[in-house]
Amino acid sequence: MRLQATGLEAGYGAVPALHGVSVSVEQGEIVAIVGRNGVGKTTLIKALMGLLPATSGSVRLGGNDVTRWPPSRRVRAGLRAVYQERAVFSELTVRDNLRLNGLDASAQADVLEMFPDSLIGRDQQRAGTLSGGEQKMLASGCALRAGASILVMDEPTEGLQPSNVDLLGKHLSQARDDGLGVILVEQHLALATSLATRFVVLEKGEVVASGHADEPDIHERIATHLVI
Amino acid sequence: MVGRRADHRLRSKRKGSVFVVDALTSEILNGVGSFATLAIVALGLGIVFGLMGVINLAHGEFVMVGAYVAFMVQEAGRSHWLAIPIAAIVLLLLGGMIELALIRRIYQRPELTILATFGLSIVLRQLAELIFTKDFRSVVNPVPGATPALGVLYPTYRFVLIAVAVTVVVVTLLTFTRSQFGLTVQAIVADRELAESAGIRTSVVNSLAFGIGAATAGVAGALVAPLGAVEPQIGLTYLPGAFLVVIVGGVSRLWGVVLGAGIVAAVQTGAIHFADAVLAQIVSLLLAVVVLQFGRSSRSGLVA
Ligand SMILES: Nc1ncnc2c1ncn2[C@@H]1O[C@H](COP(=O)(O)OP(=O)(O)OP(=O)(O)O)[C@@H](O)[C@H]1O
Ligand SMILES: [Mg+2]
Repeated sequence: MRLQATGLEAGYGAVPALHGVSVSVEQGEIVAIVGRNGVGKTTLIKALMGLLPATSGSVRLGGNDVTRWPPSRRVRAGLRAVYQERAVFSELTVRDNLRLNGLDASAQADVLEMFPDSLIGRDQQRAGTLSGGEQKMLASGCALRAGASILVMDEPTEGLQPSNVDLLGKHLSQARDDGLGVILVEQHLALATSLATRFVVLEKGEVVASGHADEPDIHERIATHLVI
Repeated sequence: MVGRRADHRLRSKRKGSVFVVDALTSEILNGVGSFATLAIVALGLGIVFGLMGVINLAHGEFVMVGAYVAFMVQEAGRSHWLAIPIAAIVLLLLGGMIELALIRRIYQRPELTILATFGLSIVLRQLAELIFTKDFRSVVNPVPGATPALGVLYPTYRFVLIAVAVTVVVVTLLTFTRSQFGLTVQAIVADRELAESAGIRTSVVNSLAFGIGAATAGVAGALVAPLGAVEPQIGLTYLPGAFLVVIVGGVSRLWGVVLGAGIVAAVQTGAIHFADAVLAQIVSLLLAVVVLQFGRSSRSGLVA
């Protein structure tokens, strides 16, 4: 399965924040989206999920044009998301969060064990009382165990301590090897570099550079766009 | 609804104590009956307000439609007991359709839900007039007679009403607080976008939740139909009481509706006992004013 956005335009009110962005991901690869604050990474994630309507362009998932599909229908077709903000239902317990993501008992236990130091034994707690990093881990765990084919993640390492960043990296590369496709918005360049098969650099709502991880000058090219 | 209920009580008293042997006991039983009716009517209002943020001014008309369903079931020669589930199904469908056609478009704008449902209430009343005219229709009491309880003879049907209403309220509350469906509704209330992103078809769940709210009103309408005249305006007698309950009980927890109904019924019954129906109305309004004045938020009442 493949997620493919073509000429995607989306935004808030009259002003578009994305101007014709094209990105794609296949199952079994990780595509890193990088760019400075405010360039439209989160907007892209929301448009891919259908939280923001595309004012122009299209989103295809597998054989379907899903541009007008509501998020839940995209989820049923194999797409999942981890959001940068409000990644979990903070009013509900950790257990209810797991249940709402459609996980059975064994998958629920898996999620807690993915980040054992952070999540085990916390299942009756309101998710809002987890720390920011812990909420992110819960959201990533749910999305990784929910049986999706394609996952879009918006800065899942935000607020994670280095050892948990490594742990998430391990889970992501494992999932990729098991056939998951991931669009990974990431400020943590070291992680992005260690995982990604391809890079896409956004600037002011446009793709300004892209390339494969094995291109010799890829890191220099990315860096020129990220330094101020 | 307060006035209507009190009049009925006074009338039955004047009629020569057929049912009423001990005034206080029967007043307490009236209070319980009023609690059950308030709870079942207010529950649907509480569901759509608490969970969906919709102030439904047409909720009384859902009760009215339920009462006419009971009338039509009787005209079709069927048992009144059949009318109760049929009213639930009719209102579930009607409520679901209204959510689809109207409410869905205005969730983000509470002030518009007031206008839209006010308009809807007028339309439903006009439709009822068109179909059934303004004439008072009556639904025959399926269990005439009285049952002895606590030393008094009390109308059997009122016991039935209390039992059915309490059952419907408890089952509905459990559905919304304990089941997977209830959890998905809570998730939508907490964060609709995140719920969608977890794969929950929020539009289907919203229609269903609104439909269930309407269905409880339909059951209430079918239940009260044999107690008085069925006419297009009947819903208007139920709406203020239900709103009072929602204000007093709050809806940040649905159980608040039950406690609110208990408080309102107790205050009204007490006021009627010590004074009269007019004072009961005044006391009820004061109660609402006090709660609104000192309440913590628009969704929380005295208890929830
Ligand atoms: N809800 C909103 N309403 C109006 N404008 C918004 C909204 N959210 C974001 N924007 C604007 O859209 C642009 C892109 O924002 P976006 O959140 O996509 O950036 P980002 O790349 O995710 O940034 P960050 O790295 O800080 O997460 C920014 O100019 C931002 O100000
Ligand atoms: Mg962002």
